[in-house]
Formats: sequence, C-alpha cells, structure tokens
Amino acid sequence: MGLNMIRSSLPKPSLVRGIKTIPQPPGFIVGDVNDAYVPPKPSKSHGSIHWTSERAISMAMVPLALSPFITGASTVIDSTLCAVTLAHCYTGFQSCIIDYIPVRVYGAYHNYAMYLLTFGTGVAAYGVYDIEKREGGVTNIISKLWKA
Amino acid sequence: MFRSINRLNLLGLRRSLATSAEQRLKSFHIYRWNPDTPEIEPKMQTYEIDLNACGPMVLDALLKIKNEQDATLTFRRSCREGICGSCAMNIGGTNTLACLCKIDQDNAKDLKIYPLPHMFVVRDLVPDLTHFYKQYKSIQPYLQRETNPPDGRENLQTIEDRAKLDGLYECILCACCSTSCPSYWWNQQEYLGPAVLMQAYRWLIDSRDEATNLRKQMLQNSMSLYRCHTIMNCARTCPKGLNPGKAIAEIKKQLAFD
Repeated sequence: MGLNMIRSSLPKPSLVRGIKTIPQPPGFIVGDVNDAYVPPKPSKSHGSIHWTSERAISMAMVPLALSPFITGASTVIDSTLCAVTLAHCYTGFQSCIIDYIPVRVYGAYHNYAMYLLTFGTGVAAYGVYDIEKREGGVTNIISKLWKA
Repeated sequence: MFRSINRLNLLGLRRSLATSAEQRLKSFHIYRWNPDTPEIEPKMQTYEIDLNACGPMVLDALLKIKNEQDATLTFRRSCREGICGSCAMNIGGTNTLACLCKIDQDNAKDLKIYPLPHMFVVRDLVPDLTHFYKQYKSIQPYLQRETNPPDGRENLQTIEDRAKLDGLYECILCACCSTSCPSYWWNQQEYLGPAVLMQAYRWLIDSRDEATNLRKQMLQNSMSLYRCHTIMNCARTCPKGLNPGKAIAEIKKQLAFD
C-alpha cells in the first residue's frame, strides 16, 4: 500500500533524468544459464595498484594533517597536504561514479561524469595554487579563522 | 519453593500447556507476486497464525500457512535445519534463513517477510539465483593441480593449512550476504558479491590448489572485487555466523602484494 502510494506520487525516474540507459539482459543473464559469468579484462592499474594507491594516499594524509601543529605552517607541507587531499577526493568521487553511473548502464554518460570530475579537480587544484600564493596556505587560513 | 510455585499458580502466571491455552494470533505480512498474472502488482498479504499451535521458527509458520490457509504461497525450503540454504529470505528486515529464525513471540508485533532484496522474483518468496550461480561457476570452485600427488593417492595437507579453511568452507551459498550488500544491489552484473568472493578466497588459500595465479588474475579489475567498500552487511547478516568481509579484505591484501 505505502509503496504504491509513494511510487504514484513520484515522477518516473526516466522522465526526471531524460537520459536513455542501456537496456540490460533479462535476469542479467549473458549467454546460456549454464555459462560462467565472464569478468572484465584483468588490469592491475584498475585493480590492485589503484586500491593500494588509494590506501597510500589516505595514510599520507594523517602525518601531513598533524605536522603543522608541531612545525607550524609551511608552504611545502601545506601544498602537499592540499594535493593529497585533492587526490583523495578524486578517487572517492571516482569510486562513486563507478558505483552509481556504471559504463554498463549509462555508456557515454559515465565518461562525461569522469570528465566533469577531472575538470572539477583541475579547478580545485588552481584554487589551491591561488590560496598558497595569496593567503599563505590552508593551514594559515584555518589558524586565522581559529583566532578570529 | 513449593509455596512460590503455588503462589504463581494462584496468580495465573504459571505457564500452561501450549495446546490448552487460548489463541495467540500473530499477523504475518508476506510478499505475494504471481508470474501467471503479471498485470497484478506485487502485494503484501496478511495471514493470522496462532502461535500456540505453531512451531518456533518462521519456516514452521510458513509451512502452517501453506498447509492450512493458502496452498498457493510459494517458497523454497528443504532441510529445515540451516544446512541447505534454500529458505533464505528477508524476515523482519534482515536476510536470514527462515528455518533458523525464531518467531518473535510478542504477538502484538507483526512480522513482514519479503524475498531476498534486489533479486528478480520468480514467484512470491522465490528469488532467481541463476546469475548468482553463474558467478559462483566463474571462480572455478574446484581443486586445480598441475601435478599428481607423489604417492599417487591423496593430496595431503598439514593440519595448519587445513585450519585456514575453517570459517570459509561452512558457507552454504544461501545468498543472504550478497543480497544484503548495497554494492551488490547496484552492480550485481559485474561485482561478484561477498558469498562468491569468500569462496574465491577459500580456493586462493587452499595449500593443495595450484591455480592461484589465474584465480588472482581474474579479480584484477575495478568491478569483480574492488566494488567492496567494507560496508560489512555481509558479516552482520550471515545466518551461519561467517565473515565474508574479512575474506574479501584478505584477498585485497594478497592482491596488493602480488
């Protein structure tokens, strides 16, 4: 009952998006029912290397975020922290895009999302450069805000 | 002591025999859909069960409904003791086996029963597990060796190596964990899911198996394994108390040092 009411009160998802998705095979079954599922082609850079670099980036953020408390603000540490945080955000959003806008269903839109993410990361990187140049780094801004 | 029992008796608190007590009706809301009438939308149907005349498990209640109230109610069941994995369904919001799930004896509370979430429904509580089995087949769940054992008889294994398989081989492939995983909901065509990945790990660490490199290579892509974001619904829901999330983490560790 409740489900039907919610369903009827919402516009159709396809109308909202206006995006044509790639139709999927019935029951998601490719080939015969007795054929084994065929995985995507092996690629270490999309597999283990990608995963390990994600972890490395996350781990690198911890000392970089803590060091300004000990050494005080420095442009080198600050810009490294900003770059690593940006990379962390990039891989995080990349993961979201792979999960929710998969190539399998959305085709080219997956690539558009990735381009948008790359563009956004580029804009953010320029913003970081600007902050480092004019404001003396993010750590500096935070310490100013803290004192204000 | 006798006095205390007598007092309970006077107060009417002593537990009486199940057959002699009055009815304790509990409502069961069960998901119904019939492929013969596809124009009718899936609906929830309510059945009233007298808990005093019913076994303790949800499967007992389902069988009671099928025997006495509605023979068209369809569900899978076989062993009724949690070893076959047939009766996996979503009971009260949790994926579990109907035969291992006790009925909440509070009859004021209703119980909702759905098929396993995010699967294609064959009928009522029966999900289509074809794709799940195709995925299981793809990890080649059998012993692969290049060489024969030196004595020509058995592939021997040390006690320590055998102990590594504990907590993995007990999986009955009921698909409770896979269908509780959001990553599997969104990407089940390509992501293998916790149940199948745990079996992949079971064959990766088997000391007798010699196809380790091929097994690892199969998982080296962004979809098959790395869609696991350690949500850990799998370990929480497993009716056998296993931990597929840990097995997946171990695979990731092995691949990282590969």
